[in-house]
Amino acid sequence: MDDIEGRIIHNKEIASRHYLLKIKLEKSMDPTVPGQFVMLHIPDNELFLRRPFSIYDYRQKTLSLLYKVVGKGTESLSRTVKNAKVSVLCPLGRGFSIKKRDRYVVVAGGIGIAGVHLLIQRLGKKATIFFGCNNADEVPLMGKTAKFNPFVSTLDGSYGFRGNVVQLLEHHIEELEEKDIEVFACGPEGMLKSMKALLEKKRIPCQASFEERMACGLGLCFGCVKKTVDKEEPYKRVCKEGPVFDIWQVCL
Amino acid sequence: MASLSIKLLGKTLRNPVMNASGTLGYGKEIEPLWGIENLGAYVTKGLSLKPHHGNPTPRVWEEHQGLINSIGLQNIGIDRFFSDYFPFFKKKKTPIIVNFFGFTEEEYIACAERIKPDRFIVALEMNLSCPNVKQGGISFGKDPVLVHRIVKEVKAVTKIPLIAKLTPEVKNLYEIARAAYEGGVDGFTLLNTMPSLVVDIRKRSVPLKGGLSGPLLRPVALKAVYEISSRLPVPILGSGGIMNYQDALSFIMAGACGVQIGTATFIDPYTIPKIIRGLKKYLTQNKCPCIGDLMGVAHG
Repeated sequence: MDDIEGRIIHNKEIASRHYLLKIKLEKSMDPTVPGQFVMLHIPDNELFLRRPFSIYDYRQKTLSLLYKVVGKGTESLSRTVKNAKVSVLCPLGRGFSIKKRDRYVVVAGGIGIAGVHLLIQRLGKKATIFFGCNNADEVPLMGKTAKFNPFVSTLDGSYGFRGNVVQLLEHHIEELEEKDIEVFACGPEGMLKSMKALLEKKRIPCQASFEERMACGLGLCFGCVKKTVDKEEPYKRVCKEGPVFDIWQVCL
Repeated sequence: MASLSIKLLGKTLRNPVMNASGTLGYGKEIEPLWGIENLGAYVTKGLSLKPHHGNPTPRVWEEHQGLINSIGLQNIGIDRFFSDYFPFFKKKKTPIIVNFFGFTEEEYIACAERIKPDRFIVALEMNLSCPNVKQGGISFGKDPVLVHRIVKEVKAVTKIPLIAKLTPEVKNLYEIARAAYEGGVDGFTLLNTMPSLVVDIRKRSVPLKGGLSGPLLRPVALKAVYEISSRLPVPILGSGGIMNYQDALSFIMAGACGVQIGTATFIDPYTIPKIIRGLKKYLTQNKCPCIGDLMGVAHG
């Protein structure tokens, strides 16, 4: 883990309000586990804190982040020009832990693809992938995931299955759960909640990546917590004990 | 050779730079980036007699040049801190200041009683901003009579020096400080965060009420340090929006003998070691043999 300086070498809109950002780091980042994240210092005096982003991809000192414009920070980032200097605290948090299974199932909702993209690249053909988004315009968010033949849903039905990604998963879950599987997920909390309900009957092993308003990213401030079933210490830090949690431990 | 070491309440610290309570986790979290032994002293996360779960989210909110937090004093409790974490600080020969709180007078007293003197404990730092659940939730630190009494009661049960951390949300800070002083307090931390809130105009609601920290608070804390240090003869730790060594120096020159760094660490986790290096360089460049020589020089 280190705070590494870098320069933005690419910052382009790939779907409406969704951007792919590439940063050339001055030195190599420590080995990263899929699901880990970075705290990015965006060069804008209006912003006080860093912002957390999933590590979308990383190779040869080039760090890629996929982000959606949702607030002040990402709005500013989308306007940040090539060559701008940034600093990146990385890699942070606990990522996905991959145990040996017959089959892996990856479920991503919208910008949640950013949190599992690296995982999908590592799992390759051993994973069955479900990706859901709003409409056909957002399908390019899949990027390289497309080559693994994912099942795709759109809310408006303009591409693939009409409905949300959990409804799509529901059509396949019976067949999938005949094998020893584990589900990896990232997406909005509503999606994780309905997915948890779907997996409840057989309590299928499932790890999900969560997000929360964050200040430090290092476990220093206890600002970004998720409530878990742990009676003694229910609130666990998303930046330290997470962002990936065993979904059965999280109160949703 | 310029020296950053200071004397604080009978102990020698290697430098005057500390973290503010609750901004450096339980201490171990920063180790991947820099060693805790760099600190003059580590100030613990606020500890209570029993573990405390803290508040639901959102707990943090960004302000322009500030941060509002409502962590709700989540902590593992005094006993677990001393069994699981204190040995780490002893091994690293890093003195600590134990920040503690309660929701009743009895809890404050029981906390202080529970902590046994140790050569690595510099002081207890009493968080007086907590709501007093027995008196309508008004914070202890706003009532001089209560402050005087609680300080006196805590002093009666511990041999460890006692520092009071005061809230800025009072009409007359000196009146509160004097009440604590007359109760026997050995020093002050000035100031705690400023109570504040956020309005979400889209949802027409208040998503968060909490304590404001960061540079916005700095001049306010500086004034508190300047005034209290000129009127009461006890050491003061300055805290409030210190972002760099220049800010740290301004607190020392205003009369603080040590400084606490909080919010700045969230923006740059290397802020503390950078401030230590900056202070050292300043002393060398200005041919100042000892940081203590600068204490209070702004008073003229």
